[in-house]
Amino acid sequence: MNASDLHHLSAAYALDAVDTDEREAFEEHLASCEVCRADVAGFQSASATLGASLAMAPAPSLRAEVLAKISATRQDAPVTGPSVVSLDAVRKRRRVAWTAGLAGAAAAAVAAVISISALDRGPSTDPFAVDLATVMEQSDSEVLDLAVQGDAPGEFRVAWSNSLGRAVLIGENLPPAPDGKAYELWLITPDESMAMYVLDPAEDGDVHVSLDAPAAPSAWAITVEPAEGSATATGEIIFVSNVTA
Amino acid sequence: MPLRNPESRRRRTEGVFAVAEIALPNDPHAGLVARAARGDESAFTDLYDLLAPLVYGVIARVVRDPSMAEEVTQEVFVELWRTAPRYDLERGSVRSWATTVAHRRAVDRVRSEQAARDRHDRDGRQTITANHDLVAHEVESNIDRTRVRRALESLSATQREAVELAYFGGHTYREVAVLLGVPEGTVKTRIRDGMIRLRDELGGEQ
Repeated sequence: MNASDLHHLSAAYALDAVDTDEREAFEEHLASCEVCRADVAGFQSASATLGASLAMAPAPSLRAEVLAKISATRQDAPVTGPSVVSLDAVRKRRRVAWTAGLAGAAAAAVAAVISISALDRGPSTDPFAVDLATVMEQSDSEVLDLAVQGDAPGEFRVAWSNSLGRAVLIGENLPPAPDGKAYELWLITPDESMAMYVLDPAEDGDVHVSLDAPAAPSAWAITVEPAEGSATATGEIIFVSNVTA
Repeated sequence: MPLRNPESRRRRTEGVFAVAEIALPNDPHAGLVARAARGDESAFTDLYDLLAPLVYGVIARVVRDPSMAEEVTQEVFVELWRTAPRYDLERGSVRSWATTVAHRRAVDRVRSEQAARDRHDRDGRQTITANHDLVAHEVESNIDRTRVRRALESLSATQREAVELAYFGGHTYREVAVLLGVPEGTVKTRIRDGMIRLRDELGGEQ
């Protein structure tokens, strides 16, 4: 079975609708195919919801039998090593989905460049549009939506390229910061948190920022800080997401 | 774009957020799995209470025989206990993990026991009756049922048929192709298109 056939098995695999040989072949493929891993995670979550619709309590006597069995069962040793970082599949799936969205945004940005160009203002008038398109063109570009903490309004996506050392941030529906406060963007590595920008949303709540990314991020975060900005994060974290390894 | 002197804003600070301190919104059951992974049987008991209707419901639907469903449910919980130390959120939520293991073991069982026969139209189907002593699960399950019904309704009739025979029936796509009298490639495509639709409709998370 070739790789293209295997790619198309991800949905059937997630439904356990493949035979044993195919399951083994697909799992081998899965180890090296990030696209299929993301597909399977999404499909398995959907199939698990199908399963949840069947919920039915078993006979009460089963509980004691199960508990007696587990008492007599030794557990597997945990997997050791650096790969135990837990990152939930939801973010991974979102990352895939939002890549498409941002590619659309990049196309729109390119269109904006073209229309600006048509006004004889030159194609590089809007550095954000150019940066967005440039970041997205890189083979190592990554896109992440920042997970909201609590009930803060607004949405953020960040795209960056480690090889290029540039990042772009797109925010939407962000209300003005509270009086005397400002939003601040942080690039976080395992060693340090870097204060990147004080964000100042436009009247319509949009934020478009392009910036240098001096280190490979392991997380991005947005906090509420004093209006003049802060070199150290003191305020509430309102958005944060880890970067998958 | 009104930004304040960006380059001067970029100052490095020490360990303001250790990455480990950034608590991301977490699966509410993940803490129980973490405790169970350290051998905590009472945490696993809580997990059993939370997950048993989910696990048993899936298995009962696929294997149909109540006593076999109980056996497989036991096997699944022993497997969840045994592998809890290797549980990784990357695989999805705890509910998704348990349901996925349950479905696979159910399918494995029916395939090994009934390899040669077409379970679909044979034997009188045994009725499995629900216990109604878990009100919370009933409510939750009703919500799931409504969501799932709506999501399934959004599929084309042929997609829905293929997905249902595969998941609820526990059939391989090849068996589904035979049951429907259509080529295997067609079934694979229907399953894939149907699952893409379901994933989008169900928001990818339970």
